[in-house]
Amino acid sequence: MQVASTPKRPPAPAPAAARSKHPSDRAGVDLCAAIPGLRAVLKWRPLQFWLMWANLVCFAVFINAGLFGSPVGSHNIMIVFVWILWWFLLIALLVPFLSRFWCTMCPLPAFGEWLQRLRLIGVWPGSGPAKHRTRSLGLSRAWPRALQNIWLQNGGFLGLAVCSALLVTRPIVSTVVLGGMIVLALGLALVYRQRAFCMYLCPVSGFLGLYSMTSTVAVRVKDRALCRGHKEKECLLGCAAGYGCPWFQYVGSMERNNYCGMCFECFKTCPHDNVTLYLRPFCSETGIKGVDEAFKAFIMVALALVYSVTLLGPWGVVKDWANASESGHWGGFALYALAVVGLCLVLFPALHLGAVALGRRLGGGPAVRLKAAFVGFAYTWVPLGLLAWIAFSVPLLMVNGAYILSALSDPMGRGADFFGTATVAWHPILPEWVPLLQAPLLLVGLFYALSKSLQVSRQLFGPPARAVPAVLPVWGLATAVTAVFMFFFAG
Amino acid sequence: MTGAAADVEPAPGGGRHTLFAALGVAAGVALGAALGLVAFDQTEPPRDRHIVVRARQYAYDPPVIRVNRGDRLFLKLVALDVMHGFFLEGHDLDVEIAPQQSTFKVRHPSRPDDWTEQEEVVVIADTPGKFRFRCSHTCGSLHPFMSGELIVEPNRVLHAGLGACGGLFVGSVAVARRRSRSASR
Repeated sequence: MQVASTPKRPPAPAPAAARSKHPSDRAGVDLCAAIPGLRAVLKWRPLQFWLMWANLVCFAVFINAGLFGSPVGSHNIMIVFVWILWWFLLIALLVPFLSRFWCTMCPLPAFGEWLQRLRLIGVWPGSGPAKHRTRSLGLSRAWPRALQNIWLQNGGFLGLAVCSALLVTRPIVSTVVLGGMIVLALGLALVYRQRAFCMYLCPVSGFLGLYSMTSTVAVRVKDRALCRGHKEKECLLGCAAGYGCPWFQYVGSMERNNYCGMCFECFKTCPHDNVTLYLRPFCSETGIKGVDEAFKAFIMVALALVYSVTLLGPWGVVKDWANASESGHWGGFALYALAVVGLCLVLFPALHLGAVALGRRLGGGPAVRLKAAFVGFAYTWVPLGLLAWIAFSVPLLMVNGAYILSALSDPMGRGADFFGTATVAWHPILPEWVPLLQAPLLLVGLFYALSKSLQVSRQLFGPPARAVPAVLPVWGLATAVTAVFMFFFAG
Repeated sequence: MTGAAADVEPAPGGGRHTLFAALGVAAGVALGAALGLVAFDQTEPPRDRHIVVRARQYAYDPPVIRVNRGDRLFLKLVALDVMHGFFLEGHDLDVEIAPQQSTFKVRHPSRPDDWTEQEEVVVIADTPGKFRFRCSHTCGSLHPFMSGELIVEPNRVLHAGLGACGGLFVGSVAVARRRSRSASR
């Protein structure tokens, strides 16, 4: 382990108030200024290592349980902790309130990153002409340009979702998938630069990026003008204090959370302490950029519907089809897979396209390109999708949360009782209240979907006289989709 | 499109308009929910229903039991393959059903150790709403997701929820159109 020495800092810049500001600069409360010690913590080099290490230790326990523990999911910590506790914390708390903080501590890319850097904590400094840069083990190739998008993440997540009945109930399947992701991340780290796996392949990263747009925190610079005038760009290229952004982002112009993995390297490398953590209102970002991101939004909403039917629903035939490895209904599984993929990639996007095209006509906006409207209005499904996923996850915790206590004492499901809670009987926590929680969550999602899509419409179509009619069909579709969720959850 | 929230100019009128908009939307939601409640509050008179529920990996047949408030349900429970449970939310009822048996073990989770052997269990559907029944005896890989639904009409959460969705839509349209008109003036 090596810890880099703190480099000599350049003189402090002129007061921020004296410089011009970008609109996103005034987007919230500077938490580093408001919370004493926060900046020091975020600049502390070992922070990420220890967070990853703690998760890696837990992960090793899960993998061990997955390989050698009980094959019954509800008695195995791999299933109980990953797909009940972690999932709920991730979707209901971490993403909405802490953006991609999970990526700060995710154990999946740990080995790859440590090997790339040949360090656990410190910086591997460069030498010669590129003395400000840091070094990296491996081929350090650039990720193929054609794949610099999130289509692979979309495909990977959809593929896993089709097999979700297996994934979330069989410890061995979860072990193979998550272990495989560690191996893949390690291999890619030796071939491609920095966090290529996280940026372009990790199925979790795709939806974390999309939904982190809603988050109440964001890493941003305090003063963009300062960054523009600062030529060294340590945040991109690295320096003795830290690495250049492993996520290939330039924080000086960053407007969205999507691809900020919250590694806080830019806090360490910025010689002016110009990077900070902002607290801001929910759903502050509304800009979807690209068809790949739009499809991620469709896929996530559609999958929330699918899971609500397959996992929470009462229909045995759907469960049989989704669970073909046990039921043997492979024909049904093919039909199920086709229906899921069709809903995510064809039906839902087609409905969205129809609503957008109608809205474009109502808004009298041939000047607005259909593709721009299609992509822009896709944001409608971000808050709605997130709240639908939270609503979906509520019963996972309230109904199956009792398994957490027993799995804690008996992680392998083999009869241990470390904390005296192994024999705690399954008992749901106020399950009859679940629809009463889910319905308001859906309404909150719909509220943000409507208000933010109007904001998008005003950005696309301009004056309210055009923007309001243009958004109405999308509003209608969002309301209809919410009603369908309401029916599944409460009806 | 920059995507920054701050790029959108505030509506003319500032905070007062925002307050009116919020009130308008909230009124729409409340009105919609109330309409949903009132419109679907009628149900048929209570009656007795005799229902056989067959449990198998990982579903119940019938998957959904739809009744009216006040109905008395006489449930016979049968397990077709392995041991299953029947935990009915909100009714303090848990049943253990052994395969190919005409009787089953019943307990009330509020008195967890008090099991009785019964041929039939009676449920009074006195609370409207949606109540899932779940398998409470580990029965296989998809056991945590084995559930069915008892819908006691009027299902007020659903009706109010759907009404609120509609109210939110209508309220938002009304507020947006009003803002649009005031902006064009």
